[in-house]
This record gives sequence, C-alpha cells and structure tokens, in this order.
Amino acid sequence: MNNRASRGGTSSLAALQPIDASPFHRPSHPFFVWGTLLFAWVVSLLPWRMWQPTPDILLLVLAFWCLHEPRRVGLLTAFVLGLLMDVHDSELLGLHALGYVLVAYGAIVLRRRLEHFSTLVQALHMLPVLVVAATVVTLLGSWLNGEWAGWDWLWSALITAVLWPLADILLFLPQRRLDDADVNAV
Amino acid sequence: MQEHGTLRLFKRGPSVDVRLFLLLVLCLALLVVDARSALLAPVRQALAVAIYPFQRVALAPRDAMDYIDSWTHAATLARDEQDALRRQHIEMAQLSTHAAQLAAENEQLRRLLNISEEISQHSVAVEVFYVPPNFFSHRLVFNKGTRDGIRPGMPVIDEGGVVGQIIRVTPYSSEAALLIDDQVSIPVQVLRNGLRLIAFGSNEVGKIEVRYLTASADVREGDTLVTSGIGGLFPAGLPVGRIEKVDRDPGTGFAMAVAQPLSHPERYRHFLVLRVDVDGAPGPSQEAAHE
Repeated sequence: MNNRASRGGTSSLAALQPIDASPFHRPSHPFFVWGTLLFAWVVSLLPWRMWQPTPDILLLVLAFWCLHEPRRVGLLTAFVLGLLMDVHDSELLGLHALGYVLVAYGAIVLRRRLEHFSTLVQALHMLPVLVVAATVVTLLGSWLNGEWAGWDWLWSALITAVLWPLADILLFLPQRRLDDADVNAV
Repeated sequence: MQEHGTLRLFKRGPSVDVRLFLLLVLCLALLVVDARSALLAPVRQALAVAIYPFQRVALAPRDAMDYIDSWTHAATLARDEQDALRRQHIEMAQLSTHAAQLAAENEQLRRLLNISEEISQHSVAVEVFYVPPNFFSHRLVFNKGTRDGIRPGMPVIDEGGVVGQIIRVTPYSSEAALLIDDQVSIPVQVLRNGLRLIAFGSNEVGKIEVRYLTASADVREGDTLVTSGIGGLFPAGLPVGRIEKVDRDPGTGFAMAVAQPLSHPERYRHFLVLRVDVDGAPGPSQEAAHE
C-alpha cells in the first residue's frame, strides 16, 4: 500500500487522502468497462448455458462494474442487457432483466461497505444477493410458465459467486499493470 | 467508517431506489404483458434483429469448426451417406411409381370435381442456428427467416415426420416450438382406423400426449399417429408419433394416451419448413361455419 501513498504525494489533489486510507482505485477505462461487458455478453450467447448450473458470466461482470464503476454501469445497463438475454433465450421479456436489475441494485447498495473488504468477503456478500435474485427470477418464471424449474439454478448462483475473486483479478488487470508501472517509474 | 465520496452529494438523476422501483415495475409489466398477449412481438423482433450479428459472431468459431470437421470427414461421410441413400433409393423407387400413379389419378379426380388449388408443397431447407438455453420451453432457432418466405405457423419436418411449428420470425432467423413443447397442439389421426384426435406437448419430457379421448376410443399401444390435415396448417399424412401407453380412467369415462415423437429434432441440424399458406388457413370461425 506504500507505493500508493507515495504516488499520492507526487500529484496534487490525491495528496489530500490520508496515508492509511483504503486502497485508492483508479477509475477503469470506459472502453475497458464496456468492452468487458460486451465480451461477457457475447460469451453468454454461446450454447454452453444449456447446462443449467452454468455460471452467469455476464451477471458477474455486470455486478462487478456496478460495484466498482457505479457511475458508468448501473441499473439501466443491467435492464438492457437482461432484455437482450431474454430475447436470445426466447424467454418471457423482462425475466432476465428483473434478475439483473436486482443484482445490480444489491451491488450498488453494498458498494460503500464492500470497497474496504477483500475480494473473498465481497464474494461472500454477493452470494446472498445472487441467490435472492435467482430465487425471485425462478419463482416468477415458474409461475408464469406453470412449471417448476428444479433446483439447478441455485448452483448457477453459487458458482457465479465463487468466480467473483477471479473476476476481480481479471477485471483489475489493467490497473494493477499501471500500478506496477508506477512503482518502476518511482 | 470514513466517507470519501463528497462528490456523491450532487446526485445525478433520480436516486438508485427510485430507479430500482421504476425498472422493477417496468420488468413486471413486460413479463405480464408478454405472458398474456402478443403485444410485445414487434419489440422482441426488433431486439432479435439487433442482436443477430453478435450471435453470428459468437457462433462463428463453432461454424468454422463444423466446416473444418465436415471437410476432414467428407470422404467417409459421403460414402456412408451414399450407401444409405442408395438403399433408400431402391426402397423408394417402387413407392414413387405408385405415388406418381396416385398423383395422376388424384389430379384427374380433382379436375372432375373442379378443385383447382395447388397441392404440391414448397419447402425451405433450414439449419439449426442455436438452441435457446431456456428451461421452460423446447425451441429451436433456425438460420432463415421471412426473407426466405418463412412465416409463423408453418410446420417443420425432418425425415421422421413432424418436428414442430414456426412460432416467431425475424428477417434472418425463425424460431420453432417442438412437438414436445406444451404450446403446440396438432390435429392427428390414428393411421390404423382414421380416428381423429389432437396431440399436445406433454408434461413427460420428450413425449406428446393425446387427451380428451373417450374411454372406449379405439387407440392401442403401437398405433401410429399421422397429421390429419384438419385445421389447414399441417398437410395430411405426416408421421407424428407412436402410441406408447393408454391410460383409461373408468371413473371419468375419459382416456389419455402418451406417444413418442417419430421425428428426432435433437439428432440433426437440417430441417425442412413447409411453406403452407398460413394466412389462408381456415380459422376456428370458418370451421364452425362448415358445421
């Protein structure tokens, strides 16, 4: 964390941060944010989601950016992406959208608290959010389709939460690289 | 805990709670409207057209793999297919002469009866684009749409018989509900005795059901169901399924039969969409008028 404090000393405004503040986050590049979302969405179009416990990569990336970049990615993004997934899955319009909006809201509300925690604790916090959203979506879908969906969707929520630390590593990769570059420069 | 987000004092737009509420209401409204009516079909179609290029890109590696695969196995595949086709050809030869004879005779009879409508079926060969990962329904999305003349309501067949029915189309793709989907019902008759029935998608996975039989109806295990042609959409005589079991309930006086579909939508990638005249099909009102 020392490197961050020393870097703060060189620039003007960032110096106002207390030395022992929680890790300072550079904002991610907007192209990177939208690029990863687009990539996750395209990956979700692949047939591998035929297996019900498959993790929802798009939801993971979405929740991650809602937590770390709430100014760019928010509820509306979640809603639109959810609608697109509904169309692809030929699902009732609004079902995925509802789940995505709920998860995005959970991530935004928990943001203040989770910023200060490690990725593992973040994953533990996101698990109930994902499970609640999946439960709501499954109950609604089962009710509207008149058929119970089994329990495999719970696995999907669980595996998605387990993948959270991995998302953290991959999606903060450019920033870590920048940080390392800074250390070398100083 | 230290607050270090003074900028958040200046909110932009409505608060996150208000936005959540609005979007949730919108989602629920969409769900209910979509479940109960076809009002949202244009919206869905527009979105489907918008995501089509991305779907093509996402599935491009798979298509490339298939292409390479088919090249490397081309020789064996062609030989196998040729053998099978030759066998079929011999079997068909006799049937086709018989059919030609019948067709000529039928033509003549039609002329005698002054029926001038076209009886030969136009069809479009389609390939499976992708299978929607949807737990609640059994669908296939094909790679051709309205540009190739496909319309909602047209039947889809493979070499075994009826596979399903087109339910949604975009200019570039079309979506078919399989026979085993509970949204599909199809007028059938028992090949053995001509008994007319209606087959539905079943609760049992991969089966179809024939409901509303009287307990004394002459349906047995092993009977073949073919389309009856009543209703106008499905041409008569296409194989649909084979009866596996008949449940007779003496208490209610009704029976229900479960059938195994004769088509194999899970095995092949190519299907045939029959371009029947969807708009000219007699609706329920016209049928009632006939009676």
